[in-house]
Amino acid sequence: MTTPIIEAEGLVKHFPLARSLADVVTRKPEEVVHAVDGVSLAVQPGETVGLIGESGSGKTTLGWLLSKLHEPTAGRVRFEGQDITDLQGRDLLQWRRNVQIVFQDPVGSLDPRLRVWQIVGEPIKAQENAGRDEIRRRVSEFLPLVGLPPGSIDQYPHEFSGGGRQRLSLARALSVHPKVLILDEPTSALDVAVQAQILNRLVSLQQELALSYLLITHNVAAVRYVADRVAVMYLGLLAEVGPVRDVLEHPIHPYTKALLAALPVPDPRRRRARYRIGGEIPTLVHPPVGCRFAARCPFVIDRCRIEDPLLRELPQHPGRAVACHRAEEIGDVPPEELIAGLGTPANA
Amino acid sequence: MVEPVLEVQDLSVEYEAGTGTFHALTGVSVRLDPGRVVGIVGETGSGKSTLAHAIPRLLPEPPARIVSGRIAFRGVDVLDLPKWKLPLLRGTGIGMIFQEPINSLNPAYRIFDQVAEAVAVRKLRDAGEAPTLFPAPEPHDYSKGTTVKTGEALLHPIATTLPRRRSRARREALMQDVLDYLKLVRINDPETILDLYPHELSGGMRQRIMIAMALSAKPSLLIADEPTSALDITIQAQVLTLMKELMEEVQTSILFISHDLGIIAEMADEVGVLYAGHLVEFGPVEEVFANPRHPYTKLLLRSVPAQYKEDGPLPALSGSVPSLADVPRGCPFHPRCPLARDACTRDPGPMLEPAKGTSVRTHLSACYYSDEVGRMT
Repeated sequence: MTTPIIEAEGLVKHFPLARSLADVVTRKPEEVVHAVDGVSLAVQPGETVGLIGESGSGKTTLGWLLSKLHEPTAGRVRFEGQDITDLQGRDLLQWRRNVQIVFQDPVGSLDPRLRVWQIVGEPIKAQENAGRDEIRRRVSEFLPLVGLPPGSIDQYPHEFSGGGRQRLSLARALSVHPKVLILDEPTSALDVAVQAQILNRLVSLQQELALSYLLITHNVAAVRYVADRVAVMYLGLLAEVGPVRDVLEHPIHPYTKALLAALPVPDPRRRRARYRIGGEIPTLVHPPVGCRFAARCPFVIDRCRIEDPLLRELPQHPGRAVACHRAEEIGDVPPEELIAGLGTPANA
Repeated sequence: MVEPVLEVQDLSVEYEAGTGTFHALTGVSVRLDPGRVVGIVGETGSGKSTLAHAIPRLLPEPPARIVSGRIAFRGVDVLDLPKWKLPLLRGTGIGMIFQEPINSLNPAYRIFDQVAEAVAVRKLRDAGEAPTLFPAPEPHDYSKGTTVKTGEALLHPIATTLPRRRSRARREALMQDVLDYLKLVRINDPETILDLYPHELSGGMRQRIMIAMALSAKPSLLIADEPTSALDITIQAQVLTLMKELMEEVQTSILFISHDLGIIAEMADEVGVLYAGHLVEFGPVEEVFANPRHPYTKLLLRSVPAQYKEDGPLPALSGSVPSLADVPRGCPFHPRCPLARDACTRDPGPMLEPAKGTSVRTHLSACYYSDEVGRMT
C-alpha cells in the first residue's frame, strides 16, 4: 500500500454557537455544531476521491480542514505521511503550495476589482518573490491549460461567463503547481453543457499534471465521471466509502440508496415511483444518538437508535466500508425496491 | 378540439439596457391544454424565466418590452389587460411557484397569515364579493378530482362575507381551509407550524407552503419556475413526488420550467426546448427525449454525464450560449451546430414546424435538417 498523499484521521470540527449574555450568566452549557464528527479518509497519489452529501453534511468543512483553512477540534491531517496538523507560520505557508482549493462560488471567490493576472497570480505572489512581469508571464502560460485565451490576462472577472470564472478559479489553484486539488462544488453553478466541458478539463489536467483530487459535490453525475473512489457523507460522518462503480451501481448504505434513487433520470420511459425518504436532515447541534440516519431509514431496528454504527470494511466487498449495522442483510436490496412499505413521509 | 388554458403565440420580449437590446424571447409559441404539464427546458440565459414572468405580466416594463405576440389565458388577451386588472389575473387565475421560497414568502408574516390571505382572496372572489376576471363556475371542476385524499378543502362550501381582518372570528373562519391545504401538501401536523415565521422552517417546508398557497387560490394555470433547484436531492425528490400526486388530485395545468433534463423527463407531458430565446423543439416528452429532432436537443441530452472516466471523455457541446444582445442571424444555433450549412445562416431562420424523420405529428422542430439529426454522431 502506498502512502496516501493526504489523509484525515479521526477529524472532528465543532463550531461553537453564539451565546447571549444571558446564557453566560445562567451558565447554560456551551452548544456546538457538530460539522465533522470523526472522519477518516485517505486520498492516494493520482487518485480522485468524490465526496458526496447534501447541504449540512459537513463535506465543505472536511475540505477546509484538509487544506488547513480550519483548525480541527480533534484528529490529525497527514500529508505524504507527515503530520501537518500543527504546522504554523512560515512552515504552514510553505506547505500551502501543495494543497490548493477551488472554492464553491465562482463569483464570490474572485475579487471583482482585480484583473485576471492579479487573481491567478496571487498564490505565486504569496509563495515566491516574483515580480510583476514574472507573474504576468507565468499566468499567461497557465491560462491555455484551463482553456482560456492567454490574451485575457488584463480582463476583469465580470467579463467572463460562469464557466469562464470557474476556469479562472482553477487556474489560480494550479498556478503554484500543487499536488492536491480540493474541488468544492466546481460545477454546481454551471449549465449541463458547460459542466461537461469543465469535467473533461479536470480529467485531462489530472493526467497531464499527476494531480490528486478531492471532489466535493452533491452532483452524483460529476462524481461518477471524475472519481475513482467515492465517499458518502451524512451529518458529519461517512456513511459509505468504496470504488465509484461499486458504490453507484450497488449501494449498500440505506442513505446512499436513498440518494441515488432520488436522482431524476433524463429518460421519461423510466419514470417510476421513486424511493423517497421522508423527513429532513436533523440539526447538527444535537445529533441523534445511535445511527444519524435512523430517523429517516426504512430499515431501522432498535439497535440503530442506541449504538453508533462504525465504518467497517465488508469482507465480501473488497475496498468497501459501510457504517450500517445491517449492511450484510440489506446490501443487496436495489434502491427501486424500497418503495413498498414507505407510505407516509415524516415532517421536520 | 379542447379549448386551451393558455395559448402563447409568437411572443417576443426584449430588454433595453445601456449596452444594447437583449432579445430574451423571439417568436415563442406554446399551447397548454387543461390538465396537462408542459415543461420548458433551457440553459442559463435561454429566456425561460422571462417566459415564466411574461405570462402573468410580472416582467418589469421597462426595461422589459413585449415587442409582439399574443398571450391568451382562458380566452382573455393578457397583453390587452389594463394594469389595474392584472392582480385579478394572478393567484386565482395564474398561480406561481418560484425557485427561492424564502424570497416569495413575507418574512414578517406568520405561516397562517400568509396562507390565509390566499384562501381569503379565493373565498371572496368565489362569493362574488371581490372583483374577478373569471366569474364562477369554473371550466375546471376541482371537486371532480380523481381522489380527494386530504383535499377536503376543495369541497368546502363557499363562505359568505368574511369577518373583518385580524379578528379572531376571521382566523376561525379561515383556519379549517388553511389546515386542509397544509395537509394537502403532506405537512402532517400543520397546527404546529401555523404561528412560525418563514425563516424558522427548512427549505423543503417553505416550498410546500408556497405550493399550498398557490393551490389554495385554485388557479387554472400554475407556473412553476425551477421550484426545486434550491433544495437538496432527497428533499427535491419529496417535493417532486408531492407535485406529481397533487397534479392528479387538483388537475391544474402546469407550465414547468427547469434547466434539469431529468426533472422535465419526470414531470412533463410535453416539452419545449429553448435556446437563446428561440423555441427550437416542442413535442411529447417521450418522443423528444427518445428521438430528438433538433441538433441542440440531441447534443444537450448527450452532455448529461452518465459515464465513468474509463469510458472516455464526455461528449461536450463546444462553445457557449450566445449573448442575448448578439443572437446569431438565421438559426441561433448554427455557429455550434455540426449540421449547419449556408441556409442556416440566413434570416429568417427556420420556423417551428412538424419534424421530419418521425411519425409523431405533434413533434415540432425548428431545423431545416431535422431528418438528419438521428444520424448525427
